[in-house]
Amino acid sequence: MAKQRSFKQWRQQRPFWGATLSLLAGLIILWVPVNLAQIAFLPGSMAFVGYLFGGLIIILSILVYIYPQFSSILGVFIMFFSVLSVMGALGGLFVGTILGIIGGSLAIAWRLVIEKDDVNKTRKRKMNRERRQNGSAASF
Amino acid sequence: MAETAVSNESVVIGKTSKKHFFTSMAAGFLFLGILASIFGLSGVGYAMPIAGVGDFTIKFDKLEGTGYNFYPKFGETSSASGVPQGTNEISKAVITGLELTKEFKVGGNTIKVGITSDKPVHVTGLIQDASLVQANASFSNIEMAEHNTKDWTKQFSQTANTITLKDANIKTHYLFQKTITMDGMRLIVERVK
Repeated sequence: MAKQRSFKQWRQQRPFWGATLSLLAGLIILWVPVNLAQIAFLPGSMAFVGYLFGGLIIILSILVYIYPQFSSILGVFIMFFSVLSVMGALGGLFVGTILGIIGGSLAIAWRLVIEKDDVNKTRKRKMNRERRQNGSAASF
Repeated sequence: MAETAVSNESVVIGKTSKKHFFTSMAAGFLFLGILASIFGLSGVGYAMPIAGVGDFTIKFDKLEGTGYNFYPKFGETSSASGVPQGTNEISKAVITGLELTKEFKVGGNTIKVGITSDKPVHVTGLIQDASLVQANASFSNIEMAEHNTKDWTKQFSQTANTITLKDANIKTHYLFQKTITMDGMRLIVERVK
């Protein structure tokens, strides 16, 4: 239970789904050039560029987990490389590109906001309910 | 959340802004659309990773190989879909003074990409389609045979235990290597015209 709670806390402190989708995108993008390893370094072949884009997206996704405060700029780079990976890796048969765009957008849109604590909210709600009940009881 | 308490009643929590999410996603797909329209969906984008290397020239000082096998075929080139060629298969080869060059027409310019290696290159599982081979060749245990089959590519074959080519100039259309070790490799890209 405590482990679950600490994982939830860790997950909530960073754009978890954005980074996870981006990581998945990087792996899918890397899959295409890995299967073209034989021709990747021949002249005229662009497949080696796929290694570069796939690898960069994976590194950037891991950085989103580690440095959530830079998630916006890292998300922009993830989206940029995901789209460019259409050249050389076919964007992981386009699945990688689409996942990269969604993951990058989630990382860009993530931010820390100050919010009322849930515990305090519940407590306040309970107090208000009690107050209302007391008030209505007093009116009789 | 993220339960960093700021005051007794508020905490810092990670949230995703829907507005920013949809805006950036739209921008991403717009960028993808622009890229697709530039390269065209007709082929350049996916041709780059999956295409072979087309018509290019291989030059080398010496090739020493074992397990040589040759048969004719019709194959495509970057300029035509059916050109008579010969397939050369070599199980293991050591090449010295290798130089691969390929010329591309980009707009009005010709770009030349070259790969050279000043050290012996070790290749296994070489398959190569060529329409022109110029070299000083020597073979051992060479066997040429005709076969009675309807498949014209199998009607003639040539095999040899060893092959040695010197001062070769080969016009190649397809090249595949199972493994290749290129020590001292140098890649040059230059404009010819």
